[in-house]
Amino acid sequence: MTRLACFYVPMFVLAARLRSEPDLLNEAVGIVEGSGNNAHIVAATRRARKKGIQPGLSLSQARAILPKLIARGRDSECERTAQEALLEVAETFSPRVEDSGEGLVFLDVTGMERHFADENPDVRSPELRLARAAIRACDVISLPARVGIAGSKLAARVAAELPKSPTVVAPGEEATFLAPLPLTRLSPELEAAAMLQRFGLSSIGELAKLPESEIASRLGQVGRELHWAARGIDPRPLMPRPLPPEFREGMELEWPLVALEPFLFIANAALDRLSKRMEIQGFACKRLEFTLTLDPDGYDARGIDLPAPTRDVKTMLTLMRLDLEKTPPGAPVAGFSFVAHPDRPRRAQLSLFGPSAVSPEKLATTIAKLISILGDGRVGMPMTVDGHLPERYAINVFSPPSPPDIRRTPERARGLLAVRTFRPPIPIEVTTREAEGDDVQIASIRSLANEISDSRPPTPGSRVEVGSKVDIAGTVRICSGPWRIEEGWWADRPDIREYWDVELERGGVYRVFRGGATEWFVDARYEM
Amino acid sequence: MAVLARCPDSQFQLLEAPPIPELLIPPQVVESGQGEALRNLRASLEASIAAKLTSGSELVRTEARQRREEILPTTIAPLDALLGGGLARGKVTEIAGRGTRFSIVIATLAAATSIGEAAALIDAGDSFDPQLAESAGVDLQRLLWVRPRTMKETVTAAEMIGATGFQLVIIDMGSRRPPGRRVPDATWVRLARVAESHGATILVSAPYALTGTTSEAMILAHAPRPRWLGRGNAPRVLAGIETRLKLEKHRRLRPGQSTTVFFRCEEAVGCQLSAVGSIVIPTAGTRHPTARKAS
Repeated sequence: MTRLACFYVPMFVLAARLRSEPDLLNEAVGIVEGSGNNAHIVAATRRARKKGIQPGLSLSQARAILPKLIARGRDSECERTAQEALLEVAETFSPRVEDSGEGLVFLDVTGMERHFADENPDVRSPELRLARAAIRACDVISLPARVGIAGSKLAARVAAELPKSPTVVAPGEEATFLAPLPLTRLSPELEAAAMLQRFGLSSIGELAKLPESEIASRLGQVGRELHWAARGIDPRPLMPRPLPPEFREGMELEWPLVALEPFLFIANAALDRLSKRMEIQGFACKRLEFTLTLDPDGYDARGIDLPAPTRDVKTMLTLMRLDLEKTPPGAPVAGFSFVAHPDRPRRAQLSLFGPSAVSPEKLATTIAKLISILGDGRVGMPMTVDGHLPERYAINVFSPPSPPDIRRTPERARGLLAVRTFRPPIPIEVTTREAEGDDVQIASIRSLANEISDSRPPTPGSRVEVGSKVDIAGTVRICSGPWRIEEGWWADRPDIREYWDVELERGGVYRVFRGGATEWFVDARYEM
Repeated sequence: MAVLARCPDSQFQLLEAPPIPELLIPPQVVESGQGEALRNLRASLEASIAAKLTSGSELVRTEARQRREEILPTTIAPLDALLGGGLARGKVTEIAGRGTRFSIVIATLAAATSIGEAAALIDAGDSFDPQLAESAGVDLQRLLWVRPRTMKETVTAAEMIGATGFQLVIIDMGSRRPPGRRVPDATWVRLARVAESHGATILVSAPYALTGTTSEAMILAHAPRPRWLGRGNAPRVLAGIETRLKLEKHRRLRPGQSTTVFFRCEEAVGCQLSAVGSIVIPTAGTRHPTARKAS
């Protein structure tokens, strides 16, 4: 037998707003729809309701009753993200979830009840445990949801709307459960219920007792569906929604922001909500897109590619800050929308006896921060490149393999001499002398580009001048070469070089090459 | 006229003090290594088995002690001997001077990555050559290469990477001073704390001493002497560079000792140096796989 659960958020427009602005939770807040003289209250907090603020009052009437009332307009962005968050929570309980509009979600929980435990041992019903777990999950995303479980959508919805939540209707008891309830519960938005009341029917049970054909002949298809609902039969099956490819959060601001800090303060809360939603689904953010609504009009759309999937709010906020600092939006920000593209976070198995592995989450965060500070292409895993030119290199995403299970002892070093590569090579002026055969030997060199070669320690507070003079220059004591390499011989202009190792009389061993007939460069220094 | 002040009920009585309410729940008593249950258990077991029995707290203490005493060998035997086995884990070690520092850096990277540890090279001089490193035995898959531009970026990156859990972090300042202001001494203190708290081995290689009192050991690499194969008018090949290493400072060992290290050029590996000063001309030695001596 199919069992359906209904998540229902009473006063959804208010709940969605309070989710975005939790500071207002204990204040007298009214949600206003419409503008000017047409502005009227659609929902109010408990504190405001105690003072007499009721839905339907105009804003001026409400202000007359409670001058300190905090009025907030309906925010479609907040409501949409709150609904998405509610759906995502439902998806953690069942893969078959139907989106039924503002604050209303149905899900098929057949067979799911045995997977949920409850800290209270007195709760023996598995379905009640599931319902209580669902309420706790909704609390995590700051939505005060009520939960009802029954065999049909209507019964589940009615059960969820009851003030005492959660409510579980036993299998087969749907008609009995619905029978004493008033007809308005069937379909509050339809006038058919009012018509039935004029027929003299007051409860759902009385409607269910009537013949279906009689109701259908008087009210048509609507009446037939109402009769099915009264008997606990769903006129339409559950229609599961497809899984969304992305997570969204956003907000329309009360007034445009011109400074970065207040915006980041609000963005932090939104990213936090986004991160929690992704955590519920077991996802991490691979790419973060954000669209800023500018005042008076226009949009500024941006995107940040994260080096590895992460849920770390601080990282995302840092990257966002750096992006906004680099290129400010150019106009006050009146709203924003964040879209997180999900991906599976990296996992690693820890070893008991081998070297400890770096946490993938921490590593992703660190690399993201480093890239934001240093720029692209300056952080990553070095890679060798096929070819013969010594300065070749490539850099890739750093993703280390798992460490070995057993700690090993390192082998003895080969004792190779390392060279310090100059990127790019430094152009030099060379004087040559004849040698045996056709060989050219270098007599002296002098750099043509500015380079810092000062190795004296800086004095406290001193500032180093970038590009200060100079100097790879001097008479050559020993010259070794030339050594010839040829790269891309198949191309029209192959890269042909002749290399020399030169030791200067004043000290220092350099690697010098001739690129063309007259172009000379130093591309490395044997460390001294 | 004297007036007696009324003593409110909420005021603490000095002489007959009411019991102070316990605001915090007292922590549970954790059984130490010499706990009664452990003693009883040991007494009930055979001596050979009881000797191997250890409690959780003892295990944690032993692990922490072992971690403090662990070293990461550079695999350069004379240098390891100078440092008492290698680089101390959880400490900052510095190599300064104009000697072959970068060759020591590459050898240390090879040692760490070959045993499966994650290493990071913060290459302020932007002089790292992946081809050379791979031939020296560095597992490039386990190496994070960071190329900062300024001194501030360099130390910031080192702090962040050290706190991430890398076992080896090497800061190489290059052969020249990186642009930017001199970083305050507090930066190195902070870096030393990061190394201590995360058990990271930090090696700083700079042309001049940077870390001051925060480093565990300081090696001075100086007096580099290039060695050439070939004499007179005969063709020459660079055989390698000899450097003198001196232990300038160590917290546990007596400073002042020195040693000599010789690093060979890759193409000269296999050639024999009979003695310092007299060099044997190689019978075969090629610079690049495809390179040929110009005739």
